[in-house]
Amino acid sequence: MKIECGIEKIKNGILQVEKITGKNLTLPILSSILLIASGKSLKLRATNLSLGVEIEIPAKVEKEGIVAVSGTTLAGIFSNIFQNENIYLEEEGGNLLIKTKKSKIKLKGQTHDDFPTIPIVNGKTFEIESKKLVDGIKSVYYSSSLSDIKPEISSVYIYSNEDNLVFVSTDSFRLAEKKIKTKIVEEISGMLVPFKNIPEILRIFGDIQGVIKVCFNKNQISFSSDNVYLTSRIIDGVFPDYRQIIPKEFEVEAIILKQDLLNALKLSNIFSDKFNQINLLIKPKEKIFELSSQNNDIGENKTYLDAVLKGKDAVLGFNYKYFFDCFQSINTDSISIRLNQSSKPMVISGSSDNSFTYLIMPMNR
Amino acid sequence: MDTKQLWKNCLVEIEAGVSKANFSTWFKNTCILKEEIGIVYVGVPNEFVRDWLKNKYHKLITKTIADAYENMRAVEYIITKTEPNKQELPKTTETYINKELPLRDLYINPDDNLNPRYHFNSFIVGTFNELAYAASQAIIENPGTKYNPFFVYGGTGLGKTHLIQAIGNSIKEKYPNKKVHYLTLEKFATDFINSLQNNKANSFKEKYRRYDLLIIDDIQFIGKMEKIQEELFHTFNTFYENNKQIIFSSDKHPNYIPELADRLKSRFAAGMIVDVSEPEYESRLAILKVKLKELNVDLDQEIIEYVAESIQGNIRELEGSLNTIICQYRLKNKPLLVSEVKNLLKNNIKPKKNVAIKDVVKIVSNYYSLEEASIYEKTRKKEIVKARQIIMYLLREDFNVSYPLIGQKLGGKDHTTVIHSYLKIKNDLKNDPQLMQELEQIRIMFK
Repeated sequence: MKIECGIEKIKNGILQVEKITGKNLTLPILSSILLIASGKSLKLRATNLSLGVEIEIPAKVEKEGIVAVSGTTLAGIFSNIFQNENIYLEEEGGNLLIKTKKSKIKLKGQTHDDFPTIPIVNGKTFEIESKKLVDGIKSVYYSSSLSDIKPEISSVYIYSNEDNLVFVSTDSFRLAEKKIKTKIVEEISGMLVPFKNIPEILRIFGDIQGVIKVCFNKNQISFSSDNVYLTSRIIDGVFPDYRQIIPKEFEVEAIILKQDLLNALKLSNIFSDKFNQINLLIKPKEKIFELSSQNNDIGENKTYLDAVLKGKDAVLGFNYKYFFDCFQSINTDSISIRLNQSSKPMVISGSSDNSFTYLIMPMNR
Repeated sequence: MDTKQLWKNCLVEIEAGVSKANFSTWFKNTCILKEEIGIVYVGVPNEFVRDWLKNKYHKLITKTIADAYENMRAVEYIITKTEPNKQELPKTTETYINKELPLRDLYINPDDNLNPRYHFNSFIVGTFNELAYAASQAIIENPGTKYNPFFVYGGTGLGKTHLIQAIGNSIKEKYPNKKVHYLTLEKFATDFINSLQNNKANSFKEKYRRYDLLIIDDIQFIGKMEKIQEELFHTFNTFYENNKQIIFSSDKHPNYIPELADRLKSRFAAGMIVDVSEPEYESRLAILKVKLKELNVDLDQEIIEYVAESIQGNIRELEGSLNTIICQYRLKNKPLLVSEVKNLLKNNIKPKKNVAIKDVVKIVSNYYSLEEASIYEKTRKKEIVKARQIIMYLLREDFNVSYPLIGQKLGGKDHTTVIHSYLKIKNDLKNDPQLMQELEQIRIMFK
């Protein structure tokens, strides 16, 4: 293998795929990046057997070839080369030589025969703008369960409903649902993308513009854009029937400015106890919307907010963290909070935006 | 063949041939799923592993299995769901305080509504349902062409739903590309009404017509729904014309579904109409044994036989009784005695119907507004003859009174007269829905 290519392009590619290389795995080859020079491009490939990625970079190929080198080392090298010029890569006796004008590096290679293949997914396909996909996943994925005990909720659930692609995550204490308007030709009955792979998917497609082609079957999903191919395992399971738990009628409704609420929450959090509990008191007749928290060691706090209120009086406690999480997904200036007495979940959404819905279960005390 | 042992032996061989790192990466969580006519199916956790085993280790695997199992012809790889490490949820105080969303697991696939529990593996075939079973197997072979529509009817709790869902599940397995959909008539009706309300009648039509196999349960309720009958009629025609299979179940023969439009009646009859009847003793025994195996419980043979003998008719009741026994067994944690079981089931067993012949005469004559005494008279008036014959039929069919005794009690008739009456009514019932209804109403009065 012998190639020449622009340093910025290869640097970005390597730093992206390096994150996906397998760590702490029994098979050492998985911690390496596979470099394939063929035609007019260099392909960088990495996998951890749950996720696989391949990035194609335009390059001048003098001699085709394949070499596998340690990902961490390669990333270390490239994050410390700052010259903005061309770089020469050459394979020699299984090792990789990296040459720039000012440095010469020899990197020990690994037997590339053992490098796993990346599955090519056959199945249903649809296309979606990268921005929309990333927005959909980003709006909900933080609500996924972190534990492996129930793999079906340790995931982002994606399905189509009429003109929308719907993204849902829950850890059974709160739930986030985001609807993204997009043209879907074929109906998608539902797929579960593992939560563990989500940050990588977001990172890689976060910077990419344009349309992504998504292809999926029962076991595997792939996302491909012009020069990136990413494939992830999907969970073979059934997401719980969440639609039936979203309340349809509410006894109390409140609309508050997002920034006011955010500030009040931050203040209340200083006094919250070890369970992050914050109490909400709503009295529509007296126009009271009160957030309070208390901690025996620190003190207590009550904050009153201006709000448009409707319905009956209500009191409930909830976990500050869960509330705080959903602010990143709400783009409107004001927030609507709707709830019912006692044990029913509280529903939060942007005040004039139906696309995002967030449910929090109250605390028992 | 013990696939577990076979794979274990193979793994030992394979382990010797590859490096330890490779072995633990690629062969962990693999198993032999099944073996069918010489093809060994190896279960793997994901597509990465499948690709790799196929490309890199296929020769080694094939050779190792072939050495250990001579009937092997080929090896296939299938991705299976790996069981997550089942461990108890760590009980943190947070989970205790923070209530959970009442999320329920969807066991039923929302796509096709089929319950995976209903499968032919757990379906007992006996004389009571062998025709229905045979027909359903033919349908699985040639969906859409052999028996279309397929209409199953029979009393409650006799396995109709099991049968039709099992057909759906089998077709889904056999033809992964076919879209199967199961629903009850009630769901069909609500869907239709909703679509009318939202002005989306067209999307309703499209929704149902894109399926390749439609299974509609409990169709008997369609009687009063005229508009639904019409919609079903059109849906049916589309399916039929495109050679797509459609399956119905009902608790009555289509002829006895009240107010069913003739055009639907004749269409139901165009395919195959079969009934499932009540299981006989041997089948009940087999059903109980399968159930026990499913639940992983061992019961005394004597107890199983007792249950099979005493709970007659309905399979659902049979299961219910079995569950009661198992519950008691788990509670006590020691084998039950037959006497205890008898005690447990005494409420489930229908008392043998004992009825005075006089009462039957009274009820039936009342129903037809006749003088009770006229039944015993030697008269050939048509309406009285009919009532008398029905009395004889009921006494024989429902209460098992002997022919001579019936004759003697009904004004000294010969036993052959009684036999004649019995057979006549039995025959008439087949062609006369009116008579069937009358009889049903009379029967209700005995309860």
